[in-house]
Amino acid sequence: MPPPRPRAWPTVLLAVGLLLTGCANPSVGSADDDPKAPVTLKFWHGWSEPSEVKAIDKSIERFEKLHRNIDVVATGNVNDATVNQALRAGGDKAPDVVSSFTTNNVGQYCDSGMWADLDPFLKKSGLDKKKLFPNTLLEYTQYQGTQCALPLLADAFGLYYNKDAFAKAGITRPPRTMSEFRKAAAKLTQREGRHVKRAGYMPNFRLYQNSPDRMFAQWGPRYFDAHGKAQLAKEPRTRQFFRTMRQLTDAQGGYGALERLRQSFGDEMSKQSGFMTGKLAMHLDGEWRGLMLKEAKPDFDWGVAPLPVPDKQADTYGRGFLTGTVAGIAHSSKHQNAAWELLRFLTTDTDQVVSFANAIHNVPSTNAALNSPDLDADPAFRTFLRIAKNPHSQALPPSTTGGQYVTALQDFAYSVESGKEGDLDAGLRALDRQIDADTVQAEN
Amino acid sequence: MTTPTTPTPPMNPQPPAAPNAALPSPGARQRTAAGAPSSGSSAAGRSARRKRALHWIAVHSMAIALALAFVLPFVFVFLTSVMSDGQAMSGELWPTSWHWENYTKVFRTPGFLDWWRNSLMYALVGTVFTVCSSIPVAYALAKFRFRGRRTAMLLVISTMMLPPQVIVVPMYLVWAQQFHLSGTLWPLIIPMAFGDAYSIFLLRQFLLTIPKEYVESARIDGCGELRTLLRVVVPMAKPGIAAIALFQFFYCWNDYFGPQIYAAQNPGAWTLSYGLESFKSAHSVDWNLTMAATLLVMAPVIIVFFFAQKAFVEGVTLTGVKG
Amino acid sequence: MALSLSSGSGSGSGRGPDRGSGSGPGSGSGPGSRDGSAPSTATLLRRKKTRDRLRTIGFLSPWLVGFTVFFGYPLVATVYFSFMHYNQIKEPTFVGLRNWSYVFQEMPLFGPALWNTLWLVVVMVALRVVFGIGVGLLVTKLKSGVGFFRTAFYVPYLAPPVAATVAFVFLLNPATGPVNELLGAIGIEGPNWFNDPLWSKPSLVMLSLWGIGDLMVIFMAALLDVPKEQYEAAELDGAGAWSRFRYVTWPNITPIVMFAVVTGVVQTMQYYTQALVAGKLASGITIGPGTVIQPGYPDHSTITVPQLVYQLGFQNFNTGAASVLSLVLFAIAMAVTVLLMRRKSGLLSAED
Repeated sequence: MPPPRPRAWPTVLLAVGLLLTGCANPSVGSADDDPKAPVTLKFWHGWSEPSEVKAIDKSIERFEKLHRNIDVVATGNVNDATVNQALRAGGDKAPDVVSSFTTNNVGQYCDSGMWADLDPFLKKSGLDKKKLFPNTLLEYTQYQGTQCALPLLADAFGLYYNKDAFAKAGITRPPRTMSEFRKAAAKLTQREGRHVKRAGYMPNFRLYQNSPDRMFAQWGPRYFDAHGKAQLAKEPRTRQFFRTMRQLTDAQGGYGALERLRQSFGDEMSKQSGFMTGKLAMHLDGEWRGLMLKEAKPDFDWGVAPLPVPDKQADTYGRGFLTGTVAGIAHSSKHQNAAWELLRFLTTDTDQVVSFANAIHNVPSTNAALNSPDLDADPAFRTFLRIAKNPHSQALPPSTTGGQYVTALQDFAYSVESGKEGDLDAGLRALDRQIDADTVQAEN
Repeated sequence: MTTPTTPTPPMNPQPPAAPNAALPSPGARQRTAAGAPSSGSSAAGRSARRKRALHWIAVHSMAIALALAFVLPFVFVFLTSVMSDGQAMSGELWPTSWHWENYTKVFRTPGFLDWWRNSLMYALVGTVFTVCSSIPVAYALAKFRFRGRRTAMLLVISTMMLPPQVIVVPMYLVWAQQFHLSGTLWPLIIPMAFGDAYSIFLLRQFLLTIPKEYVESARIDGCGELRTLLRVVVPMAKPGIAAIALFQFFYCWNDYFGPQIYAAQNPGAWTLSYGLESFKSAHSVDWNLTMAATLLVMAPVIIVFFFAQKAFVEGVTLTGVKG
Repeated sequence: MALSLSSGSGSGSGRGPDRGSGSGPGSGSGPGSRDGSAPSTATLLRRKKTRDRLRTIGFLSPWLVGFTVFFGYPLVATVYFSFMHYNQIKEPTFVGLRNWSYVFQEMPLFGPALWNTLWLVVVMVALRVVFGIGVGLLVTKLKSGVGFFRTAFYVPYLAPPVAATVAFVFLLNPATGPVNELLGAIGIEGPNWFNDPLWSKPSLVMLSLWGIGDLMVIFMAALLDVPKEQYEAAELDGAGAWSRFRYVTWPNITPIVMFAVVTGVVQTMQYYTQALVAGKLASGITIGPGTVIQPGYPDHSTITVPQLVYQLGFQNFNTGAASVLSLVLFAIAMAVTVLLMRRKSGLLSAED
């Protein structure tokens, strides 16, 4: 077994040489390619459920029929960390068309230049993005004027509720204000000694989709001031939000008991999830859950409504948190014009957007598709369409740190809910300072 | 694997050849040697015997209790792995129905077989690289006299002490941006062709125990250094080499940090250790399937252990060898 | 043969003088190295010296290259990056000490990470050594079933860390885990283990004690090496069990204990996988695509310095701050190394 040393020597010398030349990223893409030339595109997406993968594969098939010169190789179940790493590394394995399930990182993608600016492409194709897309969706796909992504279907969040449990508790309609919400949750909670067997609504921020920014959207907060500085301490709604959540927790047996109940839940997407097994009477979730519930057929009747709003903002009832899948072109792609053809088809072609939205029950992301008569008439789905169109519905503001400020907020929310944060105001000020420090760190 | 050349401590104390061998205790041999009266009628003998019996019971019940604590996790993991998904979330201990198909399901999970292949590739190639590159270095450090030897040893030890996280960021940048090897396991394997500090250290400690007369007589017989190493030293150092090979194999097999850095972005390059961690969330499965997958990740290591038990124990003992 | 780089020159320059001098380099100034009667001894000696040096370098070369490329370079680069702003896309720019002040003053996770790492280094290493000696002693005292018990205590050590951690997170699940179920059956309300900031680190320690196999074997070997006569002598002097341990066993196994402590400290400073996997799985947070999850669940109680390096460098792409943290870790590791090397650690023998 001779060690492979002699042959390794040149490699090593080469390596040392390369190291000394610095660490500039050599993979720079171009938009000079001919979109009509035969080409293979790599498309990364996050869908992993079999039905969803089937739907996206069908969409690609449709595209390939329209553009016979372009061959699309799709990779599913890709998350943002992966996209982030792959685009930074560049090279042959990096994708051409990229997508992300959240809007959290758009600021980072645009600001760093990792995702190419799409305005030149839109202009070349003679498309007016302001007419094409709803304004909220347009906003969460750009950062400081750079449109590096386009919405590829949207997500709206609402309240799923167990109709059987409601009937038994004598509750006639889903709660609309936070105080109704609290009363209903308390009524629906079933306890056994010190343990909670069923929670009316579990506010714990670590549960499935319960990230604090989702419910916080019901207050319509502003995260940053005009100068881009974090202002969660100044924003009075932050305190109202945390206070309401605390009351909600206390009305159902307290944080500890609810956490213990949470530990008994199965995976979010499995049949053992909290809502599916009847351990939760009300549940915050996105529109896709409706399709899954329909297929899984739980042994109770369920319904969907918008999430309740604060008592003082009762007129905004119907609003909800908005986010969405976003897609763009990798800066390192050498076939950006061909990539644009795919992106354009997936995000702007009305028929495509409508049929894809129907297939996976996501909210369509163009104005034309939102008003299309071909959209699925399923009532649960329609509820989410209304939430998406509600003028008070709100998405997260983009930041150059990507989702880092959301992570910071989550972290803070965890310590608030567990009772670790003695002084909420001081904690919020520290949170703002940290978000600003992270922003300064990320800026160049 | 051949018989070890170094004496290893016997794992079983020699059973004393006393008549009361049924309940041997450390004191047994000594007392017979001191000419104590043979067991039988005297009260002193009886009380000593009772004491020994109590000692035996105490030690063994402690051992049994402890062994239970060590074995029960495996039992629970196994029992859960054959439960239905609903029961796995119920806290019940015994499966009401046995779902052996959970194992087939795990094997059918997209990627599971790839993880196996990648783990094996990483572990095997990495081990061969490490062993081949570490032997000459360990030999030089053990048997050559040269200036700077002490410094070299100190540097080897320092490298050994260094957490891998200290150098990972710049190394990642080189592999990812210069060589575009991120998304593969090669950035983890290639460095192993250049010696591994821990293996060098252990092997050197082992080589120090080989009497230098062997090496010298080989040299006198006209062997070049290389031939001396290959013909004389390597055969004698087989237990040591087997030990570092085993350690390296397990290091690679168990490695989580490395694949997380380099392979995370390419599911096709995931290893078992890395895949298992994301198994639950990536595949939306519950504890029953996760436990089945866990057992399937543990199994190969434990099977290898039962085949190479001796080399294992020697290897671990070797780590404790004083220089 | 690929390895000819060094030995080729050795055998190629003639066998005669080699045999004449009669001493390999390993034996230093062995007998007969001076009395070579061949012409111009000085030339031969010089040539031999060069040859020896070349050969040494040849044998060491894999490591010399490895050390330079995979240790020296990254260390220098880490220092360089610690003063740069670099998001791994745009060119690095010099920012002075900003990364340093960010890590030390503005990053809320730095304190907990440092504290947890030190906590684990002290508590986990100490308990592992004590438990290792205990189990080793127990097994050496056994008279029957030794093989079974030794295997039972050893096998958990072999379980891959990720698998062992996943298993423990399940076993210790407060709501559905078998451990609390068993405790409940005997009337004890089990703690929340990995889900309680007070219990999460002790749970990790339990996990590490489950994998005591390596230390047990080392200590068993050491304990069986203690000369029997010493015990006999002590017993004749009327020494009790504790005195026998204190005055006979302990002095004999001290070097091994020292070794266990040193390797334990080194391993624990790198403590990463178990803490990360336990925190992630126990939190029950769905790893939604795009969500960056802060390690350390619950309440930062399991975040360690290595995890923070990963978080900064590979989740936030903050190369500068990650480098600062790497250097902090490096400084601690080196300090511990120097401290332990000065003691009798058995790592470096007297002849080195």
